[in-house]
Amino acid sequence: MESQAVLEVEKLTISRGNEVIVRDATFTINRGEYAGVIGPNGGGKTTLILGILGTLKPDSGSVRLFGQDLKDFNQWDRVAYVSQNAVNFDSSFPMSVREMVSLGRVGRHNLGRKLTAEDWKAVDEHISLMGLGDLRDRRIGQLSGGQKQRVFVAKAMVRNPEILFLDEPIAGVDPETQEAFYKKLSDLNAAKGITIIIISHDLTAVFCRMSKVLCVSRDVHVSEIGEDFEPTEILRKAYGEHFHFVYHKHECKGEFHD
Amino acid sequence: MIDILAIFSYKFFQNALLGGIITSAACAWVGLFLILRRESMLGDGVAHTAFGGIAIGLLLGVSPLLTALVVSIFSVLGISYMRKKGLANSDAAIAVIMAMGFALGLIIVSLAGGFNVELFSYLFGSILTISTQDLILVTVLGLVTIAFLGAFYKELISMTFDEDAARMKGIPVRSMSIFFNILVAMTIVLSIKVIGIVLVTALMVIPGLAALQLNLSFRRTVAASVGFGAMSTFFGLVISSLYNVATSGVIVFTAAAIFAFVAAYRRMGR
Repeated sequence: MESQAVLEVEKLTISRGNEVIVRDATFTINRGEYAGVIGPNGGGKTTLILGILGTLKPDSGSVRLFGQDLKDFNQWDRVAYVSQNAVNFDSSFPMSVREMVSLGRVGRHNLGRKLTAEDWKAVDEHISLMGLGDLRDRRIGQLSGGQKQRVFVAKAMVRNPEILFLDEPIAGVDPETQEAFYKKLSDLNAAKGITIIIISHDLTAVFCRMSKVLCVSRDVHVSEIGEDFEPTEILRKAYGEHFHFVYHKHECKGEFHD
Repeated sequence: MIDILAIFSYKFFQNALLGGIITSAACAWVGLFLILRRESMLGDGVAHTAFGGIAIGLLLGVSPLLTALVVSIFSVLGISYMRKKGLANSDAAIAVIMAMGFALGLIIVSLAGGFNVELFSYLFGSILTISTQDLILVTVLGLVTIAFLGAFYKELISMTFDEDAARMKGIPVRSMSIFFNILVAMTIVLSIKVIGIVLVTALMVIPGLAALQLNLSFRRTVAASVGFGAMSTFFGLVISSLYNVATSGVIVFTAAAIFAFVAAYRRMGR
């Protein structure tokens, strides 16, 4: 299948105050890719994503989404984003899982109109897809951290976006829940061909599950993750010369039970 | 003591029930959004500025509720503007506008030499003496408010939950916020006859707070909030008529009793 670029970033530089946070980032993400964004804390991962989404204004460089320059881009229905802070909501907020996911179908196109039967069908499908079928009527405040994150991914996915950005979606969640979550994303990527770009500190999950890695530490180093992938060099560029991480591709099957 | 069934046959009581229940339903629904947006005191602040509007109406000899509506809309937009431009945070903006509105009322009252009896009815409510003209105004404003919330509640929840995400999906957040603020002003004005300026915030906040204790979905929380608001007004009207005490005070105490009962029930159920 011929690869088709859905995101093209060229020489993107973004500052916050007087400090350059992302410098000269240049990379391309093709349709259906599952890319991990890694790097030290404060390295510019979130800044890079917010720059791509147009929330932060770049100093220079360009972003093209689906071939269209970000300045002219208006097809936001094709893009979904789950922020780092999504789960930090007021736990007394009176919403069920089903109601929360249904907010994903609310937009300019149905302003002031009721959700249709088709909308609710999509809501129920995505709740099931994220393994939340038994919890659909549960209040969101009563869910665990991992469950909340799956609700927000379902809410983002219910619009059937073509590209999904996730910012540290499972920080502070136990390893078993993390593994289940990454598996769910892999399944979505495989089943729907959705392009996923995810910020994560879980290097094993990124190297074992994903097809591309963006290593961000002001500069952005990009590498395909193939059979002969060797992460040492880009990891040292981002995390420093003394950073040590052992990775063997053939051990991924043992690490992930699917 | 008046016969409990006989009071329902009086025209003035039927009018009061109709106006009161429409008002409390609108108040409870708007109030629930105010609680979730952490703007519970907005209602109180705008209600106090309405005092200035009422004084203008009494001075000019036009419907005080209409002039209160105009002043309240300007007040709520003023509070919103001050917050947006970073001139003051929410609490401080409410305090400034509230004080200005109330001060305006005081100046006009002193200039006019006082219209004490009428003012008293607006400060503490007088639903049992609601005129046909006011009943029509209350009904229209209440139904407009309920219709708007019914049509746009999903957009309002989206904005309340995550304003940036709502904006990214093309929801006109700015216009919707302005409309919502105007609704708050309308709801306050229609509540003034029922419960009065001083206690209006109780009818907006207490039913919603009671409903939130129940851990329900959003739709059911709205239904419970509206139900608690209507119950407070209904029982408040009946009890105050039977015992000849201030209606607004009994409505607030009934709402507070419902809140206490629901909170205790929830804790016992744990």
